[in-house]
Amino acid sequence: MEETLQHHTYTKDNAVFPFCKGCGHHHYVNHLDEALFALNIDPKNVCIVSDIGCIGILDSLFATPHTFHTTHGRSTAFATGIELADGILRNSKLKTIVVIGDGGATIGLLHLVNAALMNVDVTVILANNFLYGMTGGQHSQFSPLEFVTPTTPAGNIVPPIDICSIMKSCGATYIKQAVATDKNLGSIIADAVNHPGFAMVEVLELCTEWAVPFNKFDGKTMNEKLRHSNDGGVPQRKDFATLYKEKVLGNLKKTIDDTVTPAYTSALNGSRRIVLAGTAGEKVQLASFLYMKSAIASGLHATQKNDNPVTQGSGFSLSELCVSNDEILFTGIDQPDAVIIASADGLKEVLANGTLSRCVAETIIIADQTLPEFECAGKISRLPLRALCTGSRAALSALAALNVVKGWISQDALWEMIDGKFKDKSGSFHRDIEALMPFIKT
Amino acid sequence: MIAEGALHAGCQFFAGYPITPASGVYKAMIEQLPQRNGVAISAPDEISALAYCVGASGRGIKAMTASSGPGWSLMIETVQYALMTELPVVIALVQRLGPSTGGATQNGQADILFTEFCTSGGYTIPMFAPSTPQECYEVTTIAFKWAELLRTPVIILSDKEVGMMSEDVDFIKLVSAPVSYRKEFSTKNGTEHHTYDFQNLEDVPLFSPVGGDYKVTMTGSAHDKKGTLQKNSRETIDVLLHLQAKIDAHAEEMSIIRIDNEEQANTLVVSFGITARTAREAIRRARLAGKKVRNANVISLFPVPGTALQAAAAGVKRIVVAEENLTGQYRSVIRSLFPDQEIVGVNAVGTLITPKNIMDALL
Repeated sequence: MEETLQHHTYTKDNAVFPFCKGCGHHHYVNHLDEALFALNIDPKNVCIVSDIGCIGILDSLFATPHTFHTTHGRSTAFATGIELADGILRNSKLKTIVVIGDGGATIGLLHLVNAALMNVDVTVILANNFLYGMTGGQHSQFSPLEFVTPTTPAGNIVPPIDICSIMKSCGATYIKQAVATDKNLGSIIADAVNHPGFAMVEVLELCTEWAVPFNKFDGKTMNEKLRHSNDGGVPQRKDFATLYKEKVLGNLKKTIDDTVTPAYTSALNGSRRIVLAGTAGEKVQLASFLYMKSAIASGLHATQKNDNPVTQGSGFSLSELCVSNDEILFTGIDQPDAVIIASADGLKEVLANGTLSRCVAETIIIADQTLPEFECAGKISRLPLRALCTGSRAALSALAALNVVKGWISQDALWEMIDGKFKDKSGSFHRDIEALMPFIKT
Repeated sequence: MIAEGALHAGCQFFAGYPITPASGVYKAMIEQLPQRNGVAISAPDEISALAYCVGASGRGIKAMTASSGPGWSLMIETVQYALMTELPVVIALVQRLGPSTGGATQNGQADILFTEFCTSGGYTIPMFAPSTPQECYEVTTIAFKWAELLRTPVIILSDKEVGMMSEDVDFIKLVSAPVSYRKEFSTKNGTEHHTYDFQNLEDVPLFSPVGGDYKVTMTGSAHDKKGTLQKNSRETIDVLLHLQAKIDAHAEEMSIIRIDNEEQANTLVVSFGITARTAREAIRRARLAGKKVRNANVISLFPVPGTALQAAAAGVKRIVVAEENLTGQYRSVIRSLFPDQEIVGVNAVGTLITPKNIMDALL
């Protein structure tokens, strides 16, 4: 005889279960329906987010709640998105319930971990039958030791995931383990759904098709061997949506203000392309940024591109600048007008990336005088950048001194930018530039 | 500027995971969105990031994420889910050098085919490529418009050179698409709500959010108009045909190509993204040298703007497709549009294409 549903409030009338005879999923569905019935929730305020596998097709049995049948293991992540939108941007009306198996919980473990850490108001009901029933009974990472399946014919030799312990270590505030045949499963699910914040209910089941024929587990041994006492969540804490509304939403006052008003002018005709090369942490890219903003303040167009090793804080630091009175189209530097080399790291990089080989006779090269000799077509000025300015001022001082000599962008704009950035320390730059300027070969 | 465009378009949800060169979008959204009554959160991986967005979209919220090749690889399962469930979402993909982790701070324009043809089943995902910060803003507003109106995922295909470059932007001159919202179902229409209902194949189903007044049945599996799991009923096949038909029906409207015309041109240069800027410089120089050349900057890469491209190529003997990848990916896509014309590629890997590279390929 086909097993049918006991309640008809949320599930379809006379729906025929698609599950095998004796499968725990029957109890699961009935108890979920019973829980929703007991809570008396408007079905429009329920969203069942189902996963893949036998339990994943449960959504088709529910007539009135919203359902989201998702991809394998990702149900918790989709549910998290629904809950964040609902809890923060809408009216927190939804009860979001994830229906997932042990396979989905394995492949999507990180989604469960993060949902528990965030304490999103999502209830996960994990149907753990210790194997992949739909695809032929293969063992899962939830299979107990010695469990016999088509893929563990000699018995499983790897211990199973203890999801309740993992969830506890992630700060889940509601964790319960039950066996599908437990009479009080409905009230456990109701408690979990009602719980504010993340809730995990692990429901133990035996797959009648693949587990029962090959293993000695029965209801009694499952109770004795598999049920454990690792449930019970950590003390209640605020859920993510509540915290976000309190601490983040509307409270961040930081604004990005990179607005530049072109209050100065420049007589530059055409474009100038400059490469700055130095060592990470020595304000090479900052120098470039200030020059770019000053160029824009001079009424010019400007682009800036930076490069550095992947670790960012060590090795070379490189920046490419282009300033022009016309729109800048090509953003690369096929022929530099100036190259500033502030350190050995910088020299190594401009040698390696071909910058120096693209220089022509008119290219102005300003290099620290302690650097080794190098071949380059440009006019090289070797100056005591590091000795005079220290490493952290070398790039900007050299660039500003070059600008005093060449007048590509408004020097007043550049001074305003430097004084604004370094305030009472900007006097050092004035001294550096005075000292460097006479020695730049152009 | 992608973040600015998203905010203008009414994006209220962003989930991100750090990756160079897309992290700038993530940071800007974390800073800006909560001030504009939106949610910007950090996901533990890219799979979660896109799934959070798709979930939020199901609740009726405009959502976006941003990533690059390695992170995009992880998102492909979920973008297919968004396509199948007809949930709008925008993905800003800032390309870098591949394959695998490739080069985080090196440019690439080599994820075109990988991105467009990532669906099992081969459905068209609208894809727009900006070449300047201004276009990043504009294209993002366009991406949201089509995502919402057609209930589909839309890709913004940027690249490291465009995405990580700082540049002057005149905010007064910014251009944007009209702010659009998915059309919502209402019983005033006198019909029963079905999650995927349509009359003609190209129609877009009226939306109702989970948590709304009408029961929603979302599913990534083959389904009928109600969202009921089906194998191959006539209606289920119709739903699959509809997924492509709704995009095809708007292909002409989505087409954006910026032409710099020269009536007597011998050569047409086709490019997109950062290379489009280089092409404009190459054409400027070539014309100074007396060459007759026309330029086509393709913004809407997919659906392929075939009519506009063929019109752009009228009368030219040679078509040069410049793109920073090894095999000429977009050239391979558009080659069949030009059976009687010579089509050549200018390609590079790990280095910018220069104006000279393009000039050397002109007639």
